[in-house]
This record gives sequence, C-alpha cells and structure tokens, in this order.
Amino acid sequence: MKTVFEIAQAVRNGELTAREAVLESLCKIKELNPQINAFVEVWPEEALKRAEEIDARREKGEKLGALAGVPVGIKDNILYKGHKATCCSKMLENYVAPYNATVVEKLLAADAVIIGRTNMDEFAMGSSNQTSVYGPAHNPVDFDRVPGGSSGGSAAAVAAGMVPAALGTDTGGSVRQPASFCGIVGVKPGYGRISRYGIVAFSSGADQVGVLTSDVKDAALMLEVLCGRDNNDSTSLDEPVPAFSQNFTPDIKGLKVGMPKGFLDDLDPEIKEKILQAADKMKSLGAELVEVEVPHAKYSAPCYYIITSAEASSNLARFDGIRYGYSAKDAKDLNDQYESNRAPFGWEVKKRIIIGSTALRAENYKECYLQAVKVRELIKRDFAEAFKNVDVILTPTSPTTAFTLGAHKDNPLAVYLADLYTCQGNIGGLAGISVPCGNDKLGLPVGLQFYGPILQEEKILNAAYHFEKGL
Amino acid sequence: MILEKDNASRCARMAKIKLTPAEEEQYGAQLQELFNWVKQLSTVDVSGVELSSAAQAAYLRPDQPVTDPALAQAIVGAFNDKEGASVKVKKVL
Repeated sequence: MKTVFEIAQAVRNGELTAREAVLESLCKIKELNPQINAFVEVWPEEALKRAEEIDARREKGEKLGALAGVPVGIKDNILYKGHKATCCSKMLENYVAPYNATVVEKLLAADAVIIGRTNMDEFAMGSSNQTSVYGPAHNPVDFDRVPGGSSGGSAAAVAAGMVPAALGTDTGGSVRQPASFCGIVGVKPGYGRISRYGIVAFSSGADQVGVLTSDVKDAALMLEVLCGRDNNDSTSLDEPVPAFSQNFTPDIKGLKVGMPKGFLDDLDPEIKEKILQAADKMKSLGAELVEVEVPHAKYSAPCYYIITSAEASSNLARFDGIRYGYSAKDAKDLNDQYESNRAPFGWEVKKRIIIGSTALRAENYKECYLQAVKVRELIKRDFAEAFKNVDVILTPTSPTTAFTLGAHKDNPLAVYLADLYTCQGNIGGLAGISVPCGNDKLGLPVGLQFYGPILQEEKILNAAYHFEKGL
Repeated sequence: MILEKDNASRCARMAKIKLTPAEEEQYGAQLQELFNWVKQLSTVDVSGVELSSAAQAAYLRPDQPVTDPALAQAIVGAFNDKEGASVKVKKVL
C-alpha cells in the first residue's frame, strides 16, 4: 500500500482518486481481516461516499487537505458521531457517539476518510489486545502471536497494509509497544499536544492520542494535522505546531543521544544486540552517544499502575448503568445495583478498578497513591536533568518481541513489565517514538524508542527519520 | 503501604466489584501479587518532594457556562427511556 504522503499527493494531483485509495483499503480489509481481526467494524458505503465527495471537490478545482483521500482507522475508544464506540467492551456494546472527538474533526477537515474502528484491549487496559470483547487481534507478521496493545488493531491494520495510518491512544505504551511488535512506526507526542476531547478516558494524567504509520515521515504529517490547542480539552497545550514533516534536518551530526545507565541490564540478549547496533548506527550517522542517569525510572511500572489504576477507578465510575453502560434490572438495593451494573467489565478492567480504589482509600492514600505521585515527580526530575545534556534518549521499546496468543494468561505481572520502557514516557509526560530496528531470529520485529522532552517532538521525529533512512 | 491488611474480597467489595467465590479463588492470588509488587515504591525516599498545585491549576478551564442545545439533545437522545429533556433511570432507593 502507498504511504500517507503518496496517497494524499496523488489524490491532490489527480493521479489517484480518493475512491481508488479507499477501494484498495477495503479490498485489503476484506482479504485479511478475517484472519487478523484488526477492524471490529468497517463503514464501506460511507467511506466510498465520502471519497467520491472528495474527488468531486478536486474536480471542481477545490484545494484539498493534507490527508486528501487517505483511508484511516480509528481505535474503538475515539468518538465518531453516529458510529459505535465500544472500547471493545460489553459494557458499551450499544453506545453510539453523539459527537465527534476533536481528532476526528481534524482528520475530516484534512480530507482523510475514516474507514472503520479498530480492535483494542478493553478500555485500553492491556498490552496484547487479548482483553477485547471482539476477540484478539492477530499480529500480521505471525498470526499466532499478539500484535501488542492496547492499540493492537490499529497497529495490525497498518502493518497488514489495510490502511496507511491509524489512530491509537497511549497511556503506558499502547501506541509504541504494538508498533514495535508489528514492525511499524508509532508516536506518542508529549502530554497535552493532542486534544483528548471525545476520547473515552482511562487515566487522565497519562492518556494521549498517538499515530501508527508505516514510516516516520507519515507519522510527522499525521501529527501536524492532529496537534494543537483545543478549548474543549483544558489540558491541551496552547503552543505552535511546527510543520513536522517538513522540518527534518539534512543530517544528525552532533545530535546528542542519551543512553540511560543500566537500561540494557537483564535485557533479552537478542534485543540488547539490536539496540546496541542501533546506537552504533546513530553514531555512524554523526550522533554523539552520551551516558545519562535516570535512577528512579526503574520504579516507573509500579508507579504507573498505581496512578493510572487510581485514575481509572474514578473515570470508570461513570459506567454505573445510569449515565453510561449496562443497567441490571433485578438489583435488590443500591449496593447490589452498583455491583451488578459493573458485571459486564472484563477481569483486567475490574482488577484495575480494585487496585485503584484500594490505593485511593483513606487508610492507603498517603502511603500508596501519594507515594506514587511523589515518585512520579522524582522520575520527571530525572528525565528533566538528563535532557539538560542530551537531545534525545534511546531505549528499547519493549523488553520482548511479540509473544504467542495466550502466553502470560495467568501471569499479569509479566505483561505489566512489558510496559517497562514505554510507561516512563507517560509518567514523565515525554514524547516518544518507536521505529523498527531489525528482527530477532524468529523474524519478529524489534522496536527502538527515542524519547524527547515535551514540545520537542521534532527531535525524536528527526532522530527516528535518520535512523530509518540509514537502515 | 498497608495493602497487606487487605484481602482480595474486601478490596473488591470496597470497589463495588462483585467476585464469585470461584473468581476470588482464581484472582485473589493475582491481586495479592500485584499489591506486593507495587510495595517497592515505599522504599523510595520522597522526603523533600513537594507537589505543586500551580501545575494542576493551569489545567482548570475558565468558570464560564457553555451551552450547546444540539449536543444536549443528542446526549439525551441516546437514552432508551426518556421524557422530554429528562431521562428515566431505575428507582434504586
């Protein structure tokens, strides 16, 4: 499949119609989705109608947007007016979005064609896409393996060539880790860069919309379209949005790349080798490798699980069967009503609500939640200190490659540790990108991650762009 | 941290999550393992870490009412059981 850039340019120039681009996408979905389960719903008639409208506007001489005719998938927790948005949960099986998320408005304004909603872990909680009520998505590289999560459907759709781009959300690595598992590019910009209005909230202090594409230039273009202040999201930043896709430097001579001390200890030897090779590649391209210390980063995963579960227990309180979600008909009293209404949640969601509400209880608050928030502050300080000496920080995206479906079923801790390198970015509010850096002996993709400070997405895009070109 | 004083069923009950005895058996150990894992945070020295409320205040939206009748109508319209601009919910008391 053509890239986002190629499709948009060809549609604007009249070398390709939006209808042709959408048809190609629909054919690929029809061919591969039965095996991969990347899309949980596709809107073919509507997508073709919209594509024809775009083509008609071009024929009239209208100037088309940056994503002219580009078919895009959206994660099932993003609201698109008049369409189901279920978070791949039984709890929201009949929910139809009454308004558009700001990111949807921006895609439509840029003349993209939203083609369907993609599979995900229930309520974005998970790292393998196995908690979806629609069944797991499969990794296009190896159908017996997970695509990662929680934006597993979005990553699988792009990796399989069903769409050139898809939106995901990233609370602990949910865009970057599946990008790594599927061998594509995934970017989570800094906290507040993209509006979350119309995104079903999981953890308001960490959630961020991200993009999945086949190369870095496409990711940069998508970010250009999506970033910016939105009055409907008070956490969105009122800062200028650079022309990311136009601002790549001719080279990376003198770029300071931080290598965190101890980050590669105990890492799978094959992944360690790939990451060290990637660091050498950056050096050969003119970058300078600098050792940095982020001593508290090792606490990121437990810190992340306490804070995000606490926020989730609060955010998910709205699924009480009155405001949203399932309402039990035969409850005996108010307590029974609350408990029965929450029955449709899967175990992963229930578990996080239990952990979160336990951490927030008066007798635990200080020693549990407040302690985690203070540790988060120390992690943020570590990264801020490190970024005084380097432009970007290089890490693996994930400590493993894609694992087999069903693995770690009874060992949730193993799955939580899969977020080790990515959740640091959410805890620290950093911008992060995962870019493929080779395959392991089984042919499974390995991801390389670059971190940059908030509002400096250009630096990570630039580092990843040159690394990708140099491969 | 004092999570060790809890057990899975009490934590679930307090969170308004109903677990069957079989689920308690199946998931209790998982919860305990997770609680034990996050306890490592208590070993971090956080003395001197002050949390700024100014950063949080920056996220507050202006205290101005915003009305959007069309959106309000769409949201009310999403309820199965309604009467005019009001939605009907189950009597629970």
